[in-house]
Amino acid sequence: MFSALTEEQREFRELVRGFLAEKSTEADVRRLMATEQGYDPQLWRQMAEEVGLQGIAIAEEHGGQGFGWIELGIVLEEMGRVLLCAPYFSTVVLAASAIAESGDAEAAAARLPGIADGSTIATLAFPGENGRWDAEGVTARATREGGSWRISGTAPSTIDGHVASLFVVPARTDEGVSLFLVDRGDGVASTSLQTLDQTRRLAVVTFDGAAAEPLGEPSAGAATLERVLDLAAVGLAAEQAGAARAAFDMSVAYLKERVQFGQPIGAFQALKHMAADVLIEVESASSASSYALWAAAESRDQLPAAASLAAAFCTDALVTACHQNIQFHGGMGFTWEVPAHLYFKRARADEILLGDADFHRERLAQRIGV
Amino acid sequence: MSTVAVESDLDAVRAEAQDWLAQNWHGVDDPAWNRRVAEAGYAAPTWPAEDSGRGYSRAQARAVAAVFDAAGAPGAARELRGFHEYPWLELMGGPIRAYGTPEQKRELLPRLLAGEFGVGCLLYSEPGAGSDLAGLQTRAECDGDEYVVNGQKVWTTGGHLADTALLMARTDWDVPKHAGLSFFIFPMRQPGVEVRPIRQMTGDAEFNEVFLTDARVPAANLIGGPGNGWKVLQIALGAERRGMGEMAMGTAKTSTRPSLYALSDDLVEAARAAGRSDDPVVRQEIMRIHAWRLTNEWNNARALEEFRTNGASSLASLGKLANSRILHGAAALRYRLLGNRALQYDEAADDEAYRIDYDLMFAFINSIGGGSDQIQRNIISERVLGLPKGFEPDKGVPFRDVLKADATRSLG
Repeated sequence: MFSALTEEQREFRELVRGFLAEKSTEADVRRLMATEQGYDPQLWRQMAEEVGLQGIAIAEEHGGQGFGWIELGIVLEEMGRVLLCAPYFSTVVLAASAIAESGDAEAAAARLPGIADGSTIATLAFPGENGRWDAEGVTARATREGGSWRISGTAPSTIDGHVASLFVVPARTDEGVSLFLVDRGDGVASTSLQTLDQTRRLAVVTFDGAAAEPLGEPSAGAATLERVLDLAAVGLAAEQAGAARAAFDMSVAYLKERVQFGQPIGAFQALKHMAADVLIEVESASSASSYALWAAAESRDQLPAAASLAAAFCTDALVTACHQNIQFHGGMGFTWEVPAHLYFKRARADEILLGDADFHRERLAQRIGV
Repeated sequence: MSTVAVESDLDAVRAEAQDWLAQNWHGVDDPAWNRRVAEAGYAAPTWPAEDSGRGYSRAQARAVAAVFDAAGAPGAARELRGFHEYPWLELMGGPIRAYGTPEQKRELLPRLLAGEFGVGCLLYSEPGAGSDLAGLQTRAECDGDEYVVNGQKVWTTGGHLADTALLMARTDWDVPKHAGLSFFIFPMRQPGVEVRPIRQMTGDAEFNEVFLTDARVPAANLIGGPGNGWKVLQIALGAERRGMGEMAMGTAKTSTRPSLYALSDDLVEAARAAGRSDDPVVRQEIMRIHAWRLTNEWNNARALEEFRTNGASSLASLGKLANSRILHGAAALRYRLLGNRALQYDEAADDEAYRIDYDLMFAFINSIGGGSDQIQRNIISERVLGLPKGFEPDKGVPFRDVLKADATRSLG
C-alpha cells in the first residue's frame, strides 16, 4: 500500500510549487500559449539548471537527480496546477521513459544527459494514423538498408512534435513492433496544429525515409511501448489530479466571494452540494494518482491495472472539476478573461490524449481478468 | 538503530502483558474478567492512562493483542478491531473522553470498555427533527441529582434490544436551538421507556419509535454539562459517519489477490453468472464502481495517515457520501444482472435473490441514516471547504419562539 509523502518529498513539493508560482503565472501561460513555440526556452533552461526538473527521475550516472516516480509525480501535479506551457510531458514522461525502459544502456548514456540538462527536447511520435494507443496502433514502417535503418510514416498528433529535436518512434519491422530514435534532420517534417488546448501543443510529424537508430531489443519493442504508455498514463493522471485541484480551488474561492441575492453564492445549497460532489472527485483523483505513482515506483506488477484505473478516474475527475468550475462561475466562466476555460480545454484535451476513460476502463477490465 | 529500539520497546510491552496475564487470566471469560482487562488498561491500550488505556502506540497495542491471542484470553485492544466490531468505543467513548469530567472518565470508561453498558442505541432523531436535528423537543428537566425525560424519538436502530442509549434532550427552551441541548448516557431498561418497532421497506423491523414518559437519568450521566450537548454530539456523529464511510465493500476478504484486482469480484461473478461479462456496457459499469470502491478505500487510507500525522483529517468526512453511490450502484447492478429471479422476494425460496433485493433497499441506510447525503454535502461544504451557511431563520431566536413561529405557520 502506498504511504504519505516523506518530509523531504513535502519540502520538494514546496520548492517546485514556489518555483512554478513565480515562473508560470496566469499571465505567463497566456503569453506563451500565444507564441509559435508555445514555451519559454529560457525558463526551460532554468527548470533544468536551477531545480533539475527534467532530470528528476533520470539516474545520476546519466546526469539526473536519481529520484523516482513519486518525485516525478510531484513535479507533474504541480505543473498541472499551473498549466505550465513547456514540452515537459513529451520530453521527460514520454521520451526519457522510453529510453530508460528500453534497457538500451548505450542509448541511455548517449541521450539521457541531454534531456537531464535541458538541451534536448524529445517526444514520442505516437499514435500512428489509426489513432490507437496500443502497440496495435503502430503504423510507421522501418526498413533496413545495409547497416542502417530508415523509417517512413506519419504521427498525426505528436505532443510537442513542432519543437522536438529527438523522436522516439515505434515502427513495424519484420520482427514486429520495434522502437527507434530519430533525430530531426533529413526526412523529418513537422507541422504545428491549431489546438483546442493551447497550453499543450501537437504537431503532425512525417518521417520519409528518415535515418533511425534502434532503441533496445527489436523484439521487445511492443512490450516496452506498452510499459511507456502505462507510465505516460500515470504521469498524465498526476498532472490531471493537480489541475483538478487548482480548478476546484478556483471554484471554492469564487463561491465565497461572488454575491447574488444578497449573500455569497456558496451559501446556496444547490452549489454547496455540487461543490461537495466535486471535492470527492478531486480527492479521489489524488488517491488514484498516488496509488498509480506508487505502483510505477515500487510495484511494477500492479502498474498496468493501476495505470488504467488512474487514467480513467483522473480523466473524468478533471473534466468534472473544470466543467463545474465554469458552471460555478456562470457568465464569467464563459469569458476569455477568466482562466476557467484554460483548465476546461486542458481537461478535454487530456481526456482524448492517451485514450479516453471508456478505453481505459475496458483496459482495466482486461488487466484484472474480467 | 531506531528499529532495534522499537523492537526492544515492543519486547517490554509484551513481557509486561505476559506477566499480567500470568497473574490474572484463569481461563474464564466473564464480566469480572472483562472488568480486570479494562482496569488494567488493556481493553483499549492506545487510549491514555486517564481514559483507562495505557498510552500505547498502535504497534504496541497490536503486540498486546498478540500476547492475549496466544494465551486465548479475550477482550484486549478492542479499539484495533474497527468501528463495526466495537462501535460504542467511539460513539460513547469519544464524547466521554472529549468532554467528560475526570470523575466521569474514571467511572464510565472502565464500564464501557468492560462491555457493562450492554447493547446501545441512539436517541437522537424525532418526528419533527431529523435532518434539522437541533430542532428536537424531547425535554430533560433537572430534579435533584436526576433528570426527568419526556418526549418521543424515532428511527432508533436496535432500540428494542438496547440497554443503554445516547440521548439528546433539550434542557433550556429560552436560548437558540443549538444552545439548549444536553447529551446523556441514558438507561433504557426502566419504566417510562416504551419501544415500538417500525416496519421498514425491507420487511424487517430494526428501527423503532421510542416514547419517553417521566423516564429518569442520573445527572452524573450528563456529558459536557447542560446546554453543551450539540458540541458533544458532534464527536459521536463524526464517529458514526466515519464508521459508515468504512462500511465493508465488495468481497475481497477471502481472496488472495490484491484488492486492486479482487475488490469487485462479487460484481464480476454476477456478470459471469448472468452471461453478460462480455457486455461492454456492463463491463464499463463494473469498472466504474470498482474505481469508486478503490478510491474510497485509498481516501480512507489517506485519512488514517492524516490522523496519524495531524490528529485530524478533512478526508474522513467524505467516505460516507462516497459510499452512497457505491452501495446504491453495486446493488442496482447486481439486481439487474439477476434478471427475473430478482422479482421474487422470499428468503426461503431464493436466498441470493433475497439478499440482492435486500441490499438494493438497504443502501438507503447509508444515504439517509446518520445524516442524509444532503446534510452530508452541507457539512462537507461548510466545514471542509469553508463555504458560508445559508439563511437560517431560527438563528439566534430562543427555541421557545421558534416553536411559536411554527405553530403560527401551521395554523395559516
